[in-house]
Amino acid sequence: MEQVLSTPTDFLTFVFVLVCLGLILFFIYFGRKRPLFNLRDIPAFRHFRREVDLAVEAGKRLHISIGRGSVNDLPGGAAFIGLTILDRCARAASNSDRPPMSTTGDGVLTILGQDTLRSTYRSLATEQRYDPTNVRLTGLTPLSYAAGAMPTIREEQITANIYAGHFGTEIALLTEAGERSQSLTVAGTDNIPAQAVIYATANEPLLGEELYAAGAYLGAGPAHTASLTMQDIMRWLLVAVIVVGAILKLLGILS
Amino acid sequence: MKRVLPVTNAIIAIVSGVIVLLGYFFPGAFQGIQSVLVGWAIIIAAFALLLGIYNLAIVHWKKVGAEGQGNLYSVVLLVSLIITIVVVGFSGPTGSWSLWVFNTFQVPIEVSLLAVLAVVLAYAGARLFSRKPKWHTILFLVTVLLVLLGSVPLFLIGEIAPLSALRGWLSQVPAVAGARGLLLGVALGTVATGIRILIGVDRPYGG
Repeated sequence: MEQVLSTPTDFLTFVFVLVCLGLILFFIYFGRKRPLFNLRDIPAFRHFRREVDLAVEAGKRLHISIGRGSVNDLPGGAAFIGLTILDRCARAASNSDRPPMSTTGDGVLTILGQDTLRSTYRSLATEQRYDPTNVRLTGLTPLSYAAGAMPTIREEQITANIYAGHFGTEIALLTEAGERSQSLTVAGTDNIPAQAVIYATANEPLLGEELYAAGAYLGAGPAHTASLTMQDIMRWLLVAVIVVGAILKLLGILS
Repeated sequence: MKRVLPVTNAIIAIVSGVIVLLGYFFPGAFQGIQSVLVGWAIIIAAFALLLGIYNLAIVHWKKVGAEGQGNLYSVVLLVSLIITIVVVGFSGPTGSWSLWVFNTFQVPIEVSLLAVLAVVLAYAGARLFSRKPKWHTILFLVTVLLVLLGSVPLFLIGEIAPLSALRGWLSQVPAVAGARGLLLGVALGTVATGIRILIGVDRPYGG
């Protein structure tokens, strides 16, 4: 009978995924006309949107770094957020003389980045703007990736950098390169030690789940706002479960 | 064709994603096909790596042709790439010549960058206070200092037992609690991203 859910943990995980899916679909349906909840202010996104506008006006470039997380593994989640940001930036800068560029540390992400740019330009009927070298693989190890991306920040007249994906502590080299070129650095990652580094080195750090809110804050559609609402609800639910569990354990009811 | 291809891409991606996900919950029914799909994904990822290296070579080839200061570095990169491909091609990935190239060039350069990284982090820590003079910045820097002082024996003083104990408590109680809170947010964000891709709202594959 291996065809059924093998353990209670599997069952709970399956139910959890179904509940998340149900909540997202619910909020997409009921939030079509206007969002059910207002988004709180995250300064990083506010500043980044302003820099995007300035970059378009000044004819400068945006740099989106989508990290080196493999899409075959957990870090792929953060990388997909980077791809969403790349899409939003390409749309916002569609009138600019200099299209946004992206650096990656993984072959699959390079192809996905190129595909994202191509799809975006196709949907805007500006396919001639697509240049595959605007998405660059700069290195395959953490430090070679950082070393390869640093000259890009310096040489390409970058006005704002957004690092969204899986990074390690090597992100300090990238944020430092952004700082030296006097461009804005917004950074978010799924890696906890790298988040501490980001807090110390980036102009605008995105901590914890803030990175995953990027789509909703950059206007990627109602599904992003719906999934953000789902995350908020599930987070409070999990917090309640953890607190109740801790109290029950303190009282000796749970072993 | 331009309309059919994105829809076909989306259907293939969604069906494959759902099958791989169900393989974790219903191994008896889906594990066989899940293994096949994951195997294909690994093979495709290997080809993607080759395309990525081609992209790297093209970018630097263009730089060599353009005027600028970075030309020399691009020439060095292209020459190194060709030499490495030839050496590994003849010697094999674990051959003595391949390992020599790796140990003589790659490892020392990356270790040097690690040393630079340590300096950058120390500098960033010092600069943080002037850039973000808030109470949580002070808390951050004081915690870093306490953990550093509690981690190593001090010059002429040796190990300070209360500091070591404080370091242990900081890294095991507040740090773990904070990290778990952050991980909770990251995990929920990852689930939400995965679901958006599975229902076809996000299509990072040209769909």
